[in-house]
Amino acid sequence: MAGALGGLISLPAWANGWSTETVQSTQHFLSINQADQLAELVETIIPVTDTPGAKALNVHQFVQKMVADCYDKTTQENLQKGLDSLDDLAKASFNKTFAEGDTAQRTALLTQLSKSTDTAQKDFYSLVKNLTIRGYMTSEYVMTNLTHYQFIPGHYYGCVPVKAKTASQPK
Amino acid sequence: MSYLNIDAQALNTYDAIVIGSGISGGWAAKELTGKGLRTLVLERGRDVRHVTDYPTTNMQPWEFEHRNQLKREVREANPIISKCYAFYEGTEQFFVKDAEHPYIQEKPFDWIRGYQVGGKSLMWARQTQRWSDFDFEGPARDGFAVDWPIRYADIAPWYSYVEKFAGISGNKDGLATLPDGEFLPPHEWNCVEKHFQQKVAGKYKDRHVIMGRAAHISQAKPIHFQQGRAQCQHRTICERGCPFGGYFSSNASTIPWAAKTGKMTLRPNSVVHSIIYDEKKGRATGVRVVDANTKQMTEYYARVIFLNAAALNSNLVLLNSTSHRFPNGLGNDSGVLGKYAAFHNYRAGISAEYDGNLDSTTDGRRPNSPYIPRFRNVHKQEMGFLRGYAAGFSAGRGSRSDQSGVGADLKESLLNPKLGGWYVGSHMMGETIPKESNYLALDASQKDPFGIPQLKISIAYDDNDDKMVKDYQEQLTEMFTEAGFKNIRVRDSHASPGLDIHEMGGVRMGKDPKTSMLNKWNQLHAVKNVFVTDGACMTSTSTQNPSLTYMALTARAADYAVKAMKQGLV
Ligand SMILES: Cc1cc2nc3c(=O)[nH]c(=O)nc-3n(C[C@H](O)[C@H](O)[C@H](O)COP(=O)(O)OP(=O)(O)OC[C@H]3O[C@@H](n4cnc5c(N)ncnc54)[C@H](O)[C@@H]3O)c2cc1C
Ligand code: SF4
Repeated sequence: MAGALGGLISLPAWANGWSTETVQSTQHFLSINQADQLAELVETIIPVTDTPGAKALNVHQFVQKMVADCYDKTTQENLQKGLDSLDDLAKASFNKTFAEGDTAQRTALLTQLSKSTDTAQKDFYSLVKNLTIRGYMTSEYVMTNLTHYQFIPGHYYGCVPVKAKTASQPK
Repeated sequence: MSYLNIDAQALNTYDAIVIGSGISGGWAAKELTGKGLRTLVLERGRDVRHVTDYPTTNMQPWEFEHRNQLKREVREANPIISKCYAFYEGTEQFFVKDAEHPYIQEKPFDWIRGYQVGGKSLMWARQTQRWSDFDFEGPARDGFAVDWPIRYADIAPWYSYVEKFAGISGNKDGLATLPDGEFLPPHEWNCVEKHFQQKVAGKYKDRHVIMGRAAHISQAKPIHFQQGRAQCQHRTICERGCPFGGYFSSNASTIPWAAKTGKMTLRPNSVVHSIIYDEKKGRATGVRVVDANTKQMTEYYARVIFLNAAALNSNLVLLNSTSHRFPNGLGNDSGVLGKYAAFHNYRAGISAEYDGNLDSTTDGRRPNSPYIPRFRNVHKQEMGFLRGYAAGFSAGRGSRSDQSGVGADLKESLLNPKLGGWYVGSHMMGETIPKESNYLALDASQKDPFGIPQLKISIAYDDNDDKMVKDYQEQLTEMFTEAGFKNIRVRDSHASPGLDIHEMGGVRMGKDPKTSMLNKWNQLHAVKNVFVTDGACMTSTSTQNPSLTYMALTARAADYAVKAMKQGLV
């Protein structure tokens, strides 16, 4: 609905920040190989089950965009390095590339990364994980189909019994 | 030749000129046009039309490229405005970027501005409390600044007048510190807020927790429908502009109302350079305007001028309006122009958790929260600091999920969050004392992009403010403890002044032309056809949010101005 409305309103020149061109013009700072690794990584963090996983929801593109546009150079480089090292780590631990590993092998590798004593490695993983969760939870699919976000609640009830509702709405 | 000039002059002549179209300027425009005056409204920023110029108002969370986080380059280019909590991907378009209008921080000051039709009324947090006599009598009783030339009784009918039109929700609480107004139904409490209210009422005779009074249409009246506004839908993304007109903004309310009279000419992209003073006539005759696009200077003329550029910019305009008669700024015979500037102390906050009421939660969103009116030094001076503080308060419950795992387990836990415990929080809103040493001036050499001298801001916290922060932290800790809240954490942001966005003073009202700039009608003592009714006019700051008072003072001054014009006094 909002999309349709957005299309009807012609935005003044100063609002160009919201046009589709700028969405596309963001520099893709990851190589194709790095981008592929990132897609595998986000899918491992939130895989397809009876609902789509992170990759199908384009969360890897969201992660790349966030790091490109909102983070500093050091963080960007650390992401690149982290993605480059993924296959070496995979080979060392299960003798295959990261993409070739099965779920258990990949999961074990990520658990290992989360406990790494190498700060760069640990930062790399926690950045990707946090942004993956954020991108997934705020994706249109999840917000409309799974967490039932209400754009216009139309009310505020101060005291309702807990049973009636499990989660509060994100802003 | 001269014939042509007269023609041009006639074309550029109006009955009244209003400088600025924000909260106070919108009211000046509405009142003056409503009383039949052909009014020119000059606004330095671009035009922003209600609904059509709110580009993000209907965007869903996932439609924001960066989920509302600011881009690195925006943050790096704008260290000042990036500190404001309301500046994010969905609101960037309404805030002044740091480079747009440079100023000199003689002492650190974060100047937060909105330059567009509607000014800051688009992004404000809409808290609207009346002042009381404890506020208007403050300087006289406690011996600071100068005595206000008005009392609560002078402004009370004007509060009623603007409240009915703007639409203010609130509860009649019967408190002397915070007079009741013309309220639409109040917002709802949640159980933990109610619990806190009762605990505080049980322990302290003089402390109250009330529902905030906010400029939201909780129940639309005919006067609101006539403005094309409707009931608030509880979206709580107000600072992106509200298509329902659910909250008060100049864009949804006063400006279109003024336009409907057919008497208003709105001229965006018009940066007022100065007010023209005619020495022969002994009055102001018009204003000089720099066109923001072409940088051309034009003059406009009128019998009466309302200066509503927001506190600091109104000081700037007057300081820059020099003439043989007023070499130090228009109306500045006393030499106090730009001095005694003040603001609000928002430095401190407190947060905690609560493990009661776990069987209930909230549903929906509320664009408002409870409020704790000032309780310190109210009836007499009793503490080691002057004046006092009010506070915001709210409680809520969030959901939590275990994010430690990965894979299907993580997904499962993300999609089945558990309701967390209650969290509670408060922030202080302290009165600061206007002092001569807190001043605004023009820089002699540095100019802004329009060739106008840059404003030099020299404003700082003092010892009185530090003591108040400490007392707030102690008292709120005591109140939180009484209510059984756990894990209480106090903070002092040590932020610079400015982030409160309640800058006031510099063109203060007063009885004596020797020590003040404006009389009780907000009229320059020395130039009777110039009125200043925004925050610049404030003699002291109170603890209440100021904008409702600017609205009331503006409507009152406009009423006086038109009557005085008819009697030939202006
Ligand atoms: C995030 C935020 C939260 C806030 N919360 C609250 C709140 O809860 N309660 C409250 O009472 N207040 C609040 N405020 C403050 C409130 O917005 C201001 O007090 C109010 O807008 C001041 O009204 P004004 O008319 O003086 O100025 P503004 O609304 O700022 O309007 C001034 C206008 O004058 C124009 N102008 C300036 N200089 C010139 C010039 N030289 N020539 C032509 N035009 C000029 C500007 O572009 C602007 O449009 C908040 C502000 C912000 C930003
Ligand atoms: S909370 Fe009310 S006023 Fe604010 S955006 Fe929503 S509907 Fe509009």
